Amino acid sequence: MSLFRKVLVANRGEIAVRVLRTCRVMGIPTVAVYSEADRTSRHVREADEAVAIGPAEALRSYLSIDRVLAAARGTGAEAVHPGYGFLSQSGDFADAVRDDGLVFVGPPGDVHRRMGDKAASRRLMAAAGVPVLPGYDGDEQADERLLAEARRVGWPLMIKPSRGGGGKGMRVVPAEAGFRDALAASRREARAAFGDDAVVLERFVERPRHVEVQVMADGGGRVVHLGERECSIQRRHQKVVEETPSPALDPARREALCAAGVAAACAAGYVNAGTVEFLLSPDGSFSFLEMNTRLQVEHPVTEAVAGLDLVRMQLEVAAGRPLSLRQEDVVRRGHALECRLYAEDPQHDDLPSPGRVLHLSEPEGPGIRVDSGLDVGAEVTVHYDPLLSKIVAWGGGRGEAIERMRDALRRTVVLGVVTNLARLRAIVEHPAFVAGELHTGFIEEHLSELSPRPCPPPQALAAVAAALGHAREGGTTGRRAAPDPWSSLGAWRLGETR
Amino acid sequence: MRLRCGDEVFEVQVREAGGAVEARVAGRGLRLTLEPWGPGAFVVRTGERAVPLHLARDGRVIHLSWDGVVYALEEEREGARAATRHDPGALEAPMPGRVAAVRVAPGQRVAKGEELLVVEAMKMENALRAPRDGVVRAVHVAAGDMVAPGRALVEVD
Repeated sequence: MSLFRKVLVANRGEIAVRVLRTCRVMGIPTVAVYSEADRTSRHVREADEAVAIGPAEALRSYLSIDRVLAAARGTGAEAVHPGYGFLSQSGDFADAVRDDGLVFVGPPGDVHRRMGDKAASRRLMAAAGVPVLPGYDGDEQADERLLAEARRVGWPLMIKPSRGGGGKGMRVVPAEAGFRDALAASRREARAAFGDDAVVLERFVERPRHVEVQVMADGGGRVVHLGERECSIQRRHQKVVEETPSPALDPARREALCAAGVAAACAAGYVNAGTVEFLLSPDGSFSFLEMNTRLQVEHPVTEAVAGLDLVRMQLEVAAGRPLSLRQEDVVRRGHALECRLYAEDPQHDDLPSPGRVLHLSEPEGPGIRVDSGLDVGAEVTVHYDPLLSKIVAWGGGRGEAIERMRDALRRTVVLGVVTNLARLRAIVEHPAFVAGELHTGFIEEHLSELSPRPCPPPQALAAVAAALGHAREGGTTGRRAAPDPWSSLGAWRLGETR
Repeated sequence: MRLRCGDEVFEVQVREAGGAVEARVAGRGLRLTLEPWGPGAFVVRTGERAVPLHLARDGRVIHLSWDGVVYALEEEREGARAATRHDPGALEAPMPGRVAAVRVAPGQRVAKGEELLVVEAMKMENALRAPRDGVVRAVHVAAGDMVAPGRALVEVD
């Protein structure tokens, strides 16, 4: 008897494939949902059943609570795993799943709502003794009150919309002169994006690092942390490279940070897997940023060093089982890095670059894991997140993990869709990265301008011409490859068109 | 052949010699061996190193990955050949794969958007459709054939 009769995965792309994999391993039958744009996607193929839930537009498919629930009812699913993004942090969705008599694999609706409000969560954390930045999180939002509070906090400071995320509406204000304009702009953007223009003020920290604590809570009183991750390599508030452990922390700091993460989860009344994000200042102090009430994109680095399957733990907790793991059972070994492969063009201001995958080769080897939603022939559309796949490298130490990552990136091939692969290579090869000198402005400081792409070297041009069949005669050169339809086709004849 | 990379054009000549490739690239001579490894993938030995080369064609554009770096080249054709290359009625394989089905025969009238054949790549079927209204002039492949990117499949007049 499996843990659940059937699990519906309310997501797409690499995370849907990843969740389906653990369900399969656990013997749980699965249901995928898909939009019209994803009819032939990999996550559809890897599920036992698949249900069409609407057009490409996410609002009418992956973001539609009604359609996802209808698919769950229609297939007799017992539980719903939301992945990340889409409906994963929607309190309304979590409640609707429960009201339908199904199990939501994640915390209940009120926890999502509590932690989704920056002002309320900041107040909650401060009351629980979790460090927060000097700031203002009150309900009174009159301009004069905010200006008075801003003076108290001091310059430079940050204005953040109380709702939402992803950097939308955030403003750095260097001095009082720019405050009113920045406040107006921030409110305007917040109102447009989140339908609410309340803001929080916080002291601005120069060259901060982003660190976060993975927690797991069973709702029965046991809360453990699975260590921290550092995610300082970002582009426009979007994480690009993550790792664990953080090279910035000594054992005492790490322990203090992870204890704060557990305290935050307890204060939130947390259940299931969650992540508490902190800002780490150059002076070594850390402050609560926000809590992500879902599985995190970068969870594989934690899995790699802790030897755990977080999705399995999520499913067990959701099924009502107590955590079998005590804090002292969590043993972390070695170092892990993750690089996010995005369909974005670093040569052109990181514009998303849709297209069809013409050719694909993913790396493998000791310590290498690839979480991917890609196939040859897959259409990368503009409708969804540009994340294509995640390359994870584990090593006995940070140095070995970096070496393995470099080789893995050299062995990663995606043709037909422009990706950020060249930037990922530049990051992991940069001396400052190797030295562990990270901060959230790393890419802007070191790599905002990638050197223009040169032309291929002469050997490559010669090999291309040979492969395309412009040599005079003969079969393949060098040793024969294993017999398959391709070797009989012959290297020279490839591309011989007319 | 002439390969364009941005504003630069490279004249590349290759010939087979004793199991290897002898090439002249922009007047410089070099020698390498080339082994097919999988669909669109090769191992190139330049003497010191084995370098992976991956190729995919999209019309005249050649996408390649050499030693982990991605480039796009354009093949320049001369004179009359350029005219046929630009033939909008010619349908080429967009990716390496196997022809799963051929739906048309020479002489058959087809409408723009009509499915002409199906190419299967990595267990996925891709329908290739008529680029315009017309009559099928030639069908160059049969069901079951393996095709490389850029291979001409069907021509529509």
